[in-house]
Amino acid sequence: MIVECRLDSLLELIGKDITLEKLEETLFLLKAEIEKVDGNDIEIEVNPDRQDMLSAEGIARAVRAFLGLSSGLPKMPVRKSGKEIIVGKGLEKIRPYIACSIIRGAKINEELVKEYMHLQESLTATHGRNRKKASIGLYVYKDIKFPIHYRLENPDDIEFIPLGYEEIMDGPTIIKEHEKGQIFGPIISKFRKWPLLIDSADAILSLPPIINSNNLGRITGDTSDIFVEVTGTHVPTVLQALNIMTASIAERGGKIQSVTIKYPDGGIWETPDLTPSIRAVNCTQVKDLLGLDLKPTHIIKALKRMCYGAKSEGKGKIEVSVPAFRTDILHNVDIIEDIAIGYGFDNIEPTMPETMTTGKLLPITRLKDKIRDLMIGVGYQEIISFIMSSPEIMNNRMNRDRELVETANPKSREYSILRNSLLPVLLDFTSQNQHADYPQQIFEVGDIVVPDQKAETRCRQIPALCGLTSDTTVNVTDMINEVGFILRNLGLEEEFEFRRKEDSSFITGRCAEIIVKNKTRGILGEISPEVLKAFKIGMPVVSFELDLPRDCQW
Amino acid sequence: MNEQLTEGERTVLRGLAEMGKRVQSSVLAEQLEQNEERVVSILNSLAQRNLVKLDIIEIVSYSLTEEGKKYAEKGLPEKRLFDAVIKLSGKASMDEAVTKAGLEPQEKGIAISWSRKNGWLGIKKVDKKTVLEAKREKVDAELEELLEKIRSNEDIPKSLSKIVKVAEDRKLIKSSITRKFEAEIVSEKKKEISELLEETIDGIADLTAEILKSDKWKEQDFKPFNVEIDPPYIHYGRKHPYAEFNDWLREILIGLGFTEWFGPYVETEFWNNDVLFVPQDHVAREEQDQFRVHKPHTHGDIIDQKHYKKVKKVHEDGGDTGSIGWEAPFSKEVTTRLCLRSHTTPVSLRYLSEHRESPQKMFIIERNFRSETLSARHAQEFNQCEGIIMDKGLTLRDLMGYIREICTRVGIKKMKFKPGQFPFTEPSIEGFAKHEKLGWIEVAPGGVFRPEVTYPLGIKDSVLAWGIGSGRLYMAAMGIDDIRELYSRDLSWIRRKYFIT
Repeated sequence: MIVECRLDSLLELIGKDITLEKLEETLFLLKAEIEKVDGNDIEIEVNPDRQDMLSAEGIARAVRAFLGLSSGLPKMPVRKSGKEIIVGKGLEKIRPYIACSIIRGAKINEELVKEYMHLQESLTATHGRNRKKASIGLYVYKDIKFPIHYRLENPDDIEFIPLGYEEIMDGPTIIKEHEKGQIFGPIISKFRKWPLLIDSADAILSLPPIINSNNLGRITGDTSDIFVEVTGTHVPTVLQALNIMTASIAERGGKIQSVTIKYPDGGIWETPDLTPSIRAVNCTQVKDLLGLDLKPTHIIKALKRMCYGAKSEGKGKIEVSVPAFRTDILHNVDIIEDIAIGYGFDNIEPTMPETMTTGKLLPITRLKDKIRDLMIGVGYQEIISFIMSSPEIMNNRMNRDRELVETANPKSREYSILRNSLLPVLLDFTSQNQHADYPQQIFEVGDIVVPDQKAETRCRQIPALCGLTSDTTVNVTDMINEVGFILRNLGLEEEFEFRRKEDSSFITGRCAEIIVKNKTRGILGEISPEVLKAFKIGMPVVSFELDLPRDCQW
Repeated sequence: MNEQLTEGERTVLRGLAEMGKRVQSSVLAEQLEQNEERVVSILNSLAQRNLVKLDIIEIVSYSLTEEGKKYAEKGLPEKRLFDAVIKLSGKASMDEAVTKAGLEPQEKGIAISWSRKNGWLGIKKVDKKTVLEAKREKVDAELEELLEKIRSNEDIPKSLSKIVKVAEDRKLIKSSITRKFEAEIVSEKKKEISELLEETIDGIADLTAEILKSDKWKEQDFKPFNVEIDPPYIHYGRKHPYAEFNDWLREILIGLGFTEWFGPYVETEFWNNDVLFVPQDHVAREEQDQFRVHKPHTHGDIIDQKHYKKVKKVHEDGGDTGSIGWEAPFSKEVTTRLCLRSHTTPVSLRYLSEHRESPQKMFIIERNFRSETLSARHAQEFNQCEGIIMDKGLTLRDLMGYIREICTRVGIKKMKFKPGQFPFTEPSIEGFAKHEKLGWIEVAPGGVFRPEVTYPLGIKDSVLAWGIGSGRLYMAAMGIDDIRELYSRDLSWIRRKYFIT
């Protein structure tokens, strides 16, 4: 996730004039990286777990604490506003939840408005799963007549001027024609009625999760009192998004006020709830996970550098207050990682444990390696190809019709299926090297995938070997001799035979099945002119393909 | 320098010595019944050894043009016209003379023009008729003589050298330059040469079983061969350089006590994501990132129902792990969905499900898939090298130690760590290596598996997981900046590229 902001504005928020180098070093230790600096414009990459750092305010807050300019839990007092949201019936299956906050007297300007829009987009894209789970709206507080109603409405009866437009549109038109409607419309368009936010003067705030109205939803540099609303389908996601948005705006000196949400089933929420959640961590847990023997005072200090509240409870136990804007704390291990970050990764000395094990290769890797050595001895050049290929190469050009494992969402048809044989892959390689010196002798050892309804993942992955010779003249007898050499050296003397076979890819009378211990394991022969033409190969080719047993038992 | 002579050098040198004078290479070649080019090439090498003096002479030779050939046969038009006039008693009408001379229409103008220019004939108008009159009794036609000499390949005498220019201007002859080589023995080296020639009169070319048996080699020397040639490129069988690189990584990991393991390309999302505690609605699981399999089957099986139930619970509310989980319902449809594995970590979990007792070390170097468009920076397939270490009491510091050790063995001298983020490890780290040209590059991600990942398997000991950006390392080592070259389809390129540690 990239956060774009202005360097001077960021340094002002941090409250200390640190050098770009120091900033970069600090961010590096905080999981973030400076991606680009262009004059005063700076791009910072933030890890997706730190949704609270998706704004300049969030980054500044983290840097400030890490550098000791402020420490511990940021104070975010919330006062009740007494304003209400009334939730209508029928939203349960569409978009049931709403949470709101008010920020009064924030010092904002045009630049900041852009940053908030950016934060809102990033948050709803990742945390809100492209607005499905949660979407955010900001409004001019003073223009709203409370209470606000969050209710369902017939799409045709929804009429307002969408943000940035000049004329009134109805619901279906917005979905069809507005750019946001086209992107996010599918979230609600399947329902008969759509969610709507409307105030007591019948002024529409927004059509969640699509678009705000131009009347109430247009924040400018002159707006100092802001109303924030988050709707969605998942309670923790909705509440966390509101907390992050509210905390970011409040960094600009605003006072936070809460709003009462009244649900049709009688449930009442008072949001935002910025009370930290409490967890207990002890020194042993920290030592077990990090390998650092830290005293409670050190742990508390590290936690405070990471914006946590922390106090010692005695006997190595520490009570930790987790800020309400942290969405990523699921388990104590998440707090302990932050202790490591707060302690400083640059202060941690690596150690080398004495875990005693003996290493070994898989038997199939040893078999593959042996075969590679033998093929090289016969004079073949190893190649490595993609596992993915196309039906055109696997079937059409080969004159085959074999079942393939297909992907549903390939970026190109060229790489849309898994190879079910190596021979087409090598023929394709040959066709691309018509200009290279002859003779050409190439081989590949690698896995192929064939459908198998009975298997756990509905297919079998088979290790295979394919060798190919192309020259002005080729001879199937030479190839038989080479395959014989390989099989004998795999300990299969007297265990294999070649049996004449008709195959649509090979010249009749010059093709044989490779049979090992009475099981068909492969094929060899001279490639038919029809197939050569299909691959646009101008020279004759002999080839063989052999399946290998994964457990090395033939 | 080797003072001995090769067979070819010996033959040419002897031939030259026997002729005992300065000779042209063509003459020597004819004498030796050899190709002239080869003889020149050998003379050159003898000249480099200062045994032979070799001069290059540029010789101008002339040949007849089509027009010149015609005149050489029939005579010059102006001469023929003059002769006709003489035969007609020194004076004749134009038509009469031309008919008598047998001139073709295009020759008429040439004949009149040159006979006047040479002062051989005069032209007068008598009774409205054009009359030709001889001004001499006899003329010398040197030009005819020149053409004849060239036609019969004779030397051109000095006396004719002036007329050569006229013939060239009239485009009757053309010149060409040929290079001739003349060689002679360097007289001061005569003694040395005769010694060299005598030294091995009958050397052994191929040592045969017969020669060995008869002990003939004791009486004869071996003919020397040119052993200082620049060998041409020949394509014998060899490994692919990227395969060799991966072989080398395997060797290092075996040395560190890791056991290789296998897992399939086609996976259920259960193994690819859910056992790794990736939330079911995570963006990385969406269609634009991860390949879904839709034919011939869309969903697979969950084999271990006990494991499945625990994983489901962990996602929903954290189960007995101390986690709050994802606080969302867990879908069986999603977990059984088939995909192409997007990383090798499911293989680590498959290994752990079969090896739940400490200590364990496992690794895999294999292919993974992401729905990307093929470009210089991205491919739909990439190799990952990763592994796990499970033992009692392992910590983040041990993980750093392992990663540093592995990186040292692959040749990374300087590295640093920063905190990282992966859904299945906590803490997570990223190892950066200092590369000479590229600066700090991210090469080694890692972390300690979350309890949400290990507890469902009943594993309470720490499991450290690490990866190595093997593709990135290989590209840095080979000076490759286009990822498509890892799987190059260019045979000539593969034949010449090599990997050395």
